[in-house]
Amino acid sequence: MSADMNSERLKSPAVVQVERTFPRFTVGQRWEHWLLFLSVTALLLTGLPQKYRAAAWSLQILSTPSRVNLVRQIHHISAIVLLLVVVYHLARNLYLLLRKQLPASIFPNSQDFRNAWQMIKYLLFLSRDKPLYGKYNFEQKFTYWFLFLTIGVMGITGLVNWFPVQVTRILPGAVIPAARLAHSTEAIVIAIFVLIWHVYHVHIERLNLSIFTGRLGEDEMRKHHTLEYERLLEGNNISPPEEEAELDVQ
Amino acid sequence: MAAPDRFPLNLRRNFIYSVIVLFFGILFLFAYTPVDAGDKLQETEHYCLSCHNNPDLSVQLPDGETLSLYIPTEIIEHSIHSQQGIECEACHTQIKTYPHPEIEYKNSRELSRSYYLSCRKCHSANYEKTLDSMHAEAAEAGDMDAPVCTDCHGAHDVSSPDEPRSLISKTCGKCHDEIYEEYLGSIHGGMLVDEDNPDVPVCTDCHGVHNISDPGSELFHVQSPDLCASCHADAELMEKYGLSPNVYDLYELSWHGVDIAVFKAMWPTIHHESAVCTDCHGIHDMLASSDPDSRVNPDNLLNTCRKCHPDAGPNWTSAWTGHHEISLERTPYLYYVDRFYISFSRLILWLSAVYVALQIFRSIVNRVRRSTP
Repeated sequence: MSADMNSERLKSPAVVQVERTFPRFTVGQRWEHWLLFLSVTALLLTGLPQKYRAAAWSLQILSTPSRVNLVRQIHHISAIVLLLVVVYHLARNLYLLLRKQLPASIFPNSQDFRNAWQMIKYLLFLSRDKPLYGKYNFEQKFTYWFLFLTIGVMGITGLVNWFPVQVTRILPGAVIPAARLAHSTEAIVIAIFVLIWHVYHVHIERLNLSIFTGRLGEDEMRKHHTLEYERLLEGNNISPPEEEAELDVQ
Repeated sequence: MAAPDRFPLNLRRNFIYSVIVLFFGILFLFAYTPVDAGDKLQETEHYCLSCHNNPDLSVQLPDGETLSLYIPTEIIEHSIHSQQGIECEACHTQIKTYPHPEIEYKNSRELSRSYYLSCRKCHSANYEKTLDSMHAEAAEAGDMDAPVCTDCHGAHDVSSPDEPRSLISKTCGKCHDEIYEEYLGSIHGGMLVDEDNPDVPVCTDCHGVHNISDPGSELFHVQSPDLCASCHADAELMEKYGLSPNVYDLYELSWHGVDIAVFKAMWPTIHHESAVCTDCHGIHDMLASSDPDSRVNPDNLLNTCRKCHPDAGPNWTSAWTGHHEISLERTPYLYYVDRFYISFSRLILWLSAVYVALQIFRSIVNRVRRSTP
């Protein structure tokens, strides 16, 4: 019976047309994103009540001294998880970059500035065309590097706050209150940035789940990562779909 | 026809007479009330003193103690009670006859303590307060030396307790001699004794008067910054001495201060480890921070920090911003971080908000254009 159905379908390929997908993220990268997402969320949720400790809502959460300890412990454990992710990420990618096994597509270049300028012109109705992007557009690169630097700042200042006595053996004491202020403020900056910028670009502008699935559909590849799409077609001898649709960049 | 008189004529006359008599009676009373308390007759007092002004008058108590019954006339005359016309029997209620009833107390301390209740008759509010005090607690625990009213206020020589103001602290010092000595060496005690300063606190300003609470409790510790703030956050008062009135506000923003604020709000009686004012500045021996003996003098600060942070190194003290606002001169690191984030956080917020808003607007316009042929 099922064999019958299969033969039926094979006779009419138009009905079962499946969109081709392209690999975008490796399993390792997808794991990294999960760990990053979970640890940063835990850090924010446990950090904010500490930042606003005297506020009424915070007093509700930190309602006993042992809760305060618990929240601090969760914060520290999440920080260690994030630190491990960062170490793994840096070590792996630096190794791959040096062995020339990883294209340097995440690094910003002059094309990104031209793309950003073109995008601004497009957004201000000064141009009809959106810029064409490679594997990562400048918005995605900005997200990556902004998070990269922020995690660096948060990590360093966080460790200073965690081990102030040890840190002041080497550094002047004045770094402690400075680190505390930086840690506390940077957290808000990154929270706002992720909520506005990242959430808009991956959930509202279009639902981009490639960081979870690892693959991106052909339409999206062609539309949002045109140059990368073309490169993949040429490099791997993948033929474009039979109906050559016009590139709709609007 | 006229309405019948409600009051018969003779009754009405009687009423008028009584009003007149009452009026003059009251006038008479006012006129003859002695204005000067010194004019009090003190008949009983004179009567009692006819025996008790004898320096040799004494009695043997059951415990073998000799209790002097000599009351010098000049002392009792100067007591505030005598001047107000209050007689001996107001306090010595059980002595109504001569010869007096047997003294039933074993020793003079027991006798003194029994007069605690005599004060209550008139000073009931203060008496009630003393029942909640640390002193009453000590007495309940069996310490018969714990003070009662007369130990601080005096008995036959009772007088205004705060004339001069330094008398208050001196009175406490009768028992708390070591702390009193410490206090005299402090900036507060020194100014009280040397210049009779009316602004510095005496013991009772911080500890309370009659309901003196346990200063060793967690509750007292967590609430103590408010005590300091009652003067040190008073801009007018602090200006007189060139001190900053912001020390308390800035403390509340500090690591220690936030911790204490939370404990105060949520768990005031639970043990906490954060420092309050006195943990760094000292309690009874606090000095100006410029004083070389001050615990918070830059030379001594590290040792003070090490009380709680035993592993702290020499750089540690500069982590403390010292009750000062962020400034380039004092806290340059903090200043630059603060400056940077004021601009940076705004830049990021506006950048992402405007960029995303433009994107939303452009995509809406595109959609409208596509749907309209």
